[in-house]
Amino acid sequence: MTTEAPEKSADEGLSSSGSAGTSGTRFDLERETELRFEVEAGERVQLELLTGLAEVFGSELNRNKKYTFGPGSKIAVFTWQGCSVSLSGKTEVAYISKDTPMLLYLNTHAALEQMRRQAEKDNERGPRVMVVGPTDVGKSTVCRVLLNYAVRLGRRPTLVELDVGQSSVSVPGTMSALCIERPADVEEGFSVQAPLVFHFGSTTPGTNIKLYNKLTSSLAEVFSQRCEVNRKASVGGCIINTCGWVKGSGYQALVHCASAFQVDVVLVLDQERLYNELKRDLPHFVRVVLMPKSGGVVERSKDCRRDTRDEKIREYFYGFRGTSFYPHAFDVRFSEVRIYKIGAPSIPDSCLPLGMSQDDTQLKLVPVSPGRDLTHHVLSVSSVDDDAEVGAEQSRGILESPVCGFVVVTAVDTQAQVMTVLSPAPRPLPRHTLLIMDIRFIDLK
Amino acid sequence: MADRETATDPLKHRVYEELLSPSELFEARSRSHKIPVRGQKDFLPSGSEQQTTRLQQSLDEHWTLLTEERVERLGNLVKAVWIPDERLVELQSPAGKFWQTMGFSERGKQYLLPEEALYLMECGNVQVFYRDLPLSIQEGYERFLSRETVTLHQYQVFGHLKRLGYVVNRFDSSSVPSTYERQLNLPASSWDKQRKQLKRKRSGSPVSSDKQNTAPEEKMTTEDQSEELVKTDPRLEEPMQSADASDRTWWMEAGVQPSPAQAPSAAPRWDFSSISFPDLGSRRSGSVSLASPDPSLLPGALEVGGCDLSLWLSRVNVKQEKLSRRDRERQRDRDRYHRDINSDREVRHCRNWAEYLQLLEDRRRRRQKDRPVHLWEQEVTPLTQPGQCTSHRELLDQISIIKSSSWSEGVSSLSSSDQWKISFDIYQPDTVAEFKKSHPGKPYTRMCVCSFDGPVPDLNAMKLLSFQSGDVPVTFAVVDHGDISFYCFKDFKLPTDAY
Repeated sequence: MTTEAPEKSADEGLSSSGSAGTSGTRFDLERETELRFEVEAGERVQLELLTGLAEVFGSELNRNKKYTFGPGSKIAVFTWQGCSVSLSGKTEVAYISKDTPMLLYLNTHAALEQMRRQAEKDNERGPRVMVVGPTDVGKSTVCRVLLNYAVRLGRRPTLVELDVGQSSVSVPGTMSALCIERPADVEEGFSVQAPLVFHFGSTTPGTNIKLYNKLTSSLAEVFSQRCEVNRKASVGGCIINTCGWVKGSGYQALVHCASAFQVDVVLVLDQERLYNELKRDLPHFVRVVLMPKSGGVVERSKDCRRDTRDEKIREYFYGFRGTSFYPHAFDVRFSEVRIYKIGAPSIPDSCLPLGMSQDDTQLKLVPVSPGRDLTHHVLSVSSVDDDAEVGAEQSRGILESPVCGFVVVTAVDTQAQVMTVLSPAPRPLPRHTLLIMDIRFIDLK
Repeated sequence: MADRETATDPLKHRVYEELLSPSELFEARSRSHKIPVRGQKDFLPSGSEQQTTRLQQSLDEHWTLLTEERVERLGNLVKAVWIPDERLVELQSPAGKFWQTMGFSERGKQYLLPEEALYLMECGNVQVFYRDLPLSIQEGYERFLSRETVTLHQYQVFGHLKRLGYVVNRFDSSSVPSTYERQLNLPASSWDKQRKQLKRKRSGSPVSSDKQNTAPEEKMTTEDQSEELVKTDPRLEEPMQSADASDRTWWMEAGVQPSPAQAPSAAPRWDFSSISFPDLGSRRSGSVSLASPDPSLLPGALEVGGCDLSLWLSRVNVKQEKLSRRDRERQRDRDRYHRDINSDREVRHCRNWAEYLQLLEDRRRRRQKDRPVHLWEQEVTPLTQPGQCTSHRELLDQISIIKSSSWSEGVSSLSSSDQWKISFDIYQPDTVAEFKKSHPGKPYTRMCVCSFDGPVPDLNAMKLLSFQSGDVPVTFAVVDHGDISFYCFKDFKLPTDAY
């Protein structure tokens, strides 16, 4: 599972000697080392900081507070000064590693902070950072660490989430931006308050790369507008998390993103080829930095990714760990709503007139007639005005307007022309323009 | 038709020369009452003998018809007096059956409008006296028809429709509910009531009093509206201009000063020689250790030591990725044709993204000139680009050059013209039985009289007329030397395909 599997037994053997009673296993960490553990499926693990200072992905731990991690969590507790923690519950692996790139990340943060200071002094905008790399190199974690460090120094950075597969802000299949005002909760992650979310509709950018680039530009535009009037956000800059797709169009999308956001720094995680290509394809004033991935990064299987996606959607409806929210189920008549899918099937080039390129089909809104196949699909509720006329103007409006929420179709009755939806809010729907996602969610549990 | 009683009295025959003898009466009675039919194409002289004789014959028939003495029953004739000052005919004896659909009473007296009186004269129902002498039909035409009352054309239309059995009233523009009333959707009865009161007054002549009374009013309203438009226009524009600014104010936070314009600096904004990133890529050959960062830059004022990068350098993933054959080919192609953009001197001159993007935009524009000039780069371009529309309706919308407009659209901004006036309200013959002058109800159509010599009404005129008429259709009666043809323009929507 991990790259450092051989070390595991030795570390575990060493640390288990320092265990304290039945309450849990005690681990004593030296300075600049980290404790990595994974929670077994169907189990929970409690973490408690006994002495010293420690942090999880940049968020500091409170002493003598029990943190609970659900099944499948992969956690690294890092300490700069040394500490001792205790773990109770079944862990799949738990070991201490000295071999962590946290110092490099800290240095990166220091450099970014230097840039923010200069920006503050010169009355300019702060650093915009794009984090790229193949899948499973810890991009999201690096983003989280950097954002946490920045916000702990009183900055207000923005997290731009372009990873449509594993969004850390909203449900999968969306692209979003979130202003970070406090460090991430150790268990839950960043508090999601009023994020800006755009509908993409699929878990990989490859299904509609035009739309992906378009939404990237839209996000960049909104972010720039915000920077223009909010000095703090401007100085804080942004940290952009990207997809793990770094070949072909995926790579082009990265270059597009860099130019849309006008990034200053690109952090390339663990791939020299990507580093060299970006150095070649981005203008010289963009700093491209190659960084190693952490040894603790675990490769996730397809199933595991799907599970996290499901979990993320469930979290949207039922709250963190399925306890805090109570969603509503109600019927929506077909006639009340307009459902669209973004992207029309493309026309062969031979059918086009001379000198035309078909770039617009992917950004086209195709009306979807509701039917049985709608069942279990996730629908985004577009915030576009209902009374807007259907036309070219409006279709652009729907594409570029953010999403105000999501519903899941749980049942379709074609006879009665009614579908039942799961919604976070009671009826009626706030808006009546719905966009369909490829993503399905089956509401079990 | 002569009265037998009067005719049998031989004494009176001498006194009144106009009284007829039984034989004459009988002749008059058995006379054909048919109006000779005119051939359809007699107006086109071919120069042939045959046609000339036929035409002459037809003309003669008409003449004899006109010169023929009318024989009327004295008791059936209603006596009336022509009052030229008021341009009205006042009845002296009780009115006949025609009173149901014609005439009006005022101050206890019964009056006929000139065209009504003339028509009744022609029908032999009324005898009109002027200065105590009866008027002949010819005199009636001369005295009653004028610019102030009704014109000959209007009378011809009036007579024609009357003979066909229609009820014809002068058009009174005040009887039509205004657009405002229509917007309010007032019940029909309320404006009927209003009309009833107005009916007490005599309705104005379709030619003159319309012009005097209602036209200025109309003008006023249109002027008002256009003024209104002018007034609102700048108001509309103002928010548009400020929209950009106000749009963004919601981002504004208190105590935030607007960001300054980017000062052009000679060097790139960030001096990366002083800002050190732990970049493994560029340190391949250079120094391999990092200095410890300034604690003030770190959260919780951490103090950490330097960092030896050599360990990490050895660990960076340099192994070849697994690429599919296609990916490898694509990459090879790219490597072959794709040079480092930074070896380009123009790119090296760019100091920030704005300049770089400008450069790319310029280059793209230069490249785009390759598009077929005759199609896309000239003044005339296709109305729509393939792939822009999702539905037929949208496509039809885009390729329609003349936008369809409805009658009621933009009428308020039109200036009313004097040339086109609605003359009559027409009610269908089958409603005559229950027709009430005080409560005429909604007309079947409204008639606008014009001549073949005049121009065809333009869109402007038609819009105005239909606006005046409200929800009642307007028919154009076109008079061609006594022949009347009827035309109407109908508002309809071109069929469009919805999906």
